Amino acid sequence: MTEVKLSIGYDEFEAGQRIGSEIEKLSSSPESAALSSLIIGDWGQAYENSAEEVVAALVKHSTSFPALRKLFIGEMDYEECEISWITQSDLSPLLAAYPELQSLTIQGGNDLSLSELKHDKLEELIIITGGLGKSVLAEIAAGELPNLRKLELYLGVDNYGFDGSLQDILPLTEPGKFPKLTYLGLKNSEIEDEIAAAVADAPILDQLDTLDLSLGTLSDKGAEALLASERIKKLKALNLSHHYMSAEMVARLQSSGLPVDVSDKQETDDDEDWRYPSITE
Amino acid sequence: MTTRTGVIRPLRSNAPLRPLIVFGNPGDKRTGGIQQARQRLGQPPALIVPYAGLLEGRTLEELLAAQQRELPWAAAGTAPPLLRLDSPGGSFETEQALIALGSSEAGDVDDGLHPFGARPDPRPLGLAAAGRLKPQPGVLHHPSQWFRGYCRMLARLQREAADMFPQALWINDPAEIAAMTDKRRAQQILAGSGVPIPRPLEGGHGPADYASLREAMSMQRMHRIFIKLACGSAASGVIAYQINPTTGAEIAITTVGVEDYITRPPLYYNSGKLRRYTDTASISGIIDWLCRHGAYAEQWIPKTGPDGRSFDVRQLVVNGEACHAVARVSRTPITNLHLRSKRMSLAEAGLGEETRSRIRRTAEAALAAFPLSAIAGIDVLVSKNSQQPYVADVNPFGDLLYEVDYRGYGTYEWEMKVLAGPLKDGSP
Repeated sequence: MTEVKLSIGYDEFEAGQRIGSEIEKLSSSPESAALSSLIIGDWGQAYENSAEEVVAALVKHSTSFPALRKLFIGEMDYEECEISWITQSDLSPLLAAYPELQSLTIQGGNDLSLSELKHDKLEELIIITGGLGKSVLAEIAAGELPNLRKLELYLGVDNYGFDGSLQDILPLTEPGKFPKLTYLGLKNSEIEDEIAAAVADAPILDQLDTLDLSLGTLSDKGAEALLASERIKKLKALNLSHHYMSAEMVARLQSSGLPVDVSDKQETDDDEDWRYPSITE
Repeated sequence: MTTRTGVIRPLRSNAPLRPLIVFGNPGDKRTGGIQQARQRLGQPPALIVPYAGLLEGRTLEELLAAQQRELPWAAAGTAPPLLRLDSPGGSFETEQALIALGSSEAGDVDDGLHPFGARPDPRPLGLAAAGRLKPQPGVLHHPSQWFRGYCRMLARLQREAADMFPQALWINDPAEIAAMTDKRRAQQILAGSGVPIPRPLEGGHGPADYASLREAMSMQRMHRIFIKLACGSAASGVIAYQINPTTGAEIAITTVGVEDYITRPPLYYNSGKLRRYTDTASISGIIDWLCRHGAYAEQWIPKTGPDGRSFDVRQLVVNGEACHAVARVSRTPITNLHLRSKRMSLAEAGLGEETRSRIRRTAEAALAAFPLSAIAGIDVLVSKNSQQPYVADVNPFGDLLYEVDYRGYGTYEWEMKVLAGPLKDGSP
């Protein structure tokens, strides 16, 4: 497997470098033919400039990347751009241009769209956001992804773009929607308890190996619903890490025999307001 | 590099050891560390001159005489002493006394070492008001007046020491300590010596207020910056600030906490919890306060780091040579908040030998920009994009590093050994 990451730093962008020409350069390089994984990092002040240029260049040069199977659009961290400020665009032209693609990871939810979500071979769709819009949830629910094995959605909070509710999430869990789905991640949500209660005994569980409700605000309430479910026992992995459950609930889950990850318990903020002296060195 | 700093000419191994006088707080980790190191190396203990005594108005001569009936350097053939200034931090009484010394009511003072001494301090505290200050954990009582008092104390020590020991050598020159402590001046000096620094926001050498800072950011298309209290240490008074040119949104990530009052001005303090402000009222209040006390603004260079984290490196340089180093790895952009960062060796942080060597050379060049100083802890960050090192800070007291060794020596042991040792070029 060969992997390349392209990104444009602040200074490079100010100096006139553009992601479109970097992609073009890569497409005419000898390594393009064998490239199987491409990571697009910051495309240049992504809080101001959308991913449109990335999409256009990748579509234009798609024939130069015949081996590409894995694509990540927007791999950047807080040192480069706030995740909630990353400006995406409609990424579905990438799917049409790369019919052999197996994995697509997207970071950033602003202006994100997947208007024509159709792909015969895509196995993984991962969307990492601080807040995923309900319009995108609807597009995914309407998508045709017959080979999808893994769907991982970081739903986020309303402050950062999650404008939906449980009703917008539930269509994703209809059995038969993604017939080959075995990994479902509805995570990083501020309504994690509601999600847990809704999926705890949902028919979709019968086809899953892994249910991932991690990184959200899961508390004892959601955990009770999970524990009460028969269907949950068939899972091979239940990821609840980064949670707000009580120690008692964590102990109950651990002794339940479920293959559960309850690591990274979050504390409430009360005791964190300690202060430190200004001159320490 | 060694010859370029030039200040400490360590004596030949057969020459008598220079006595060491340390200005500091007796019994704290720093002065204690120095004494332990000297003991381990078989060197006589240093004389510790307490800041508290100096600030009570006692002279250097009185304080030294009180410690020892017979001063070692009075004996014939004794080398003149080395003088070392250590951190005045860690004591509320010292902070309070320095704020008082920075008052316009303090008599017979010398602002000659203050790099921006002519700039007035906001809401100055008189002697009586300074005396009424109460110790409150983390509260930044009056940073600019504190710094003025500190520079005045340095000037006084410089004068008294010159009178008493004309041949004495400062390990770090007091004027350079003042310059290192004021980030506006320190970064100017570094840039003037060709040391790579994060690009200052134009007009960033003392932005007037929130509004002008935002305007400068927009004009210069520098949407992500660090704003620092000019005379703060470590993560004291530091903001990672960004504006979104499309939406107008803003985010300030900072250690500065605010207590608001109805009848008096807000109180600003260093919070152990990193805060994230997104409302203009809070952000402009903090930035305006920093600007009034003197602020410095520079480009936020994305820092490299392992697994989605970022780090900076504290690289100690002693007498021209880079020695002890630690990487401070954090999940937040403010890596020098010591209590929230994980310390790693540079190798553990994933830095290859080539980058480590560039960090060492950059740190050595930074200290060389202060030709009258022999010891400083240099904060170096490595750009995520270019892997180029940049100097973010020069800490004259940046040698209190735990559990890190260089050639088998702790920081103080290494310093004491180098300062006592033979010349590096081996000349007789």
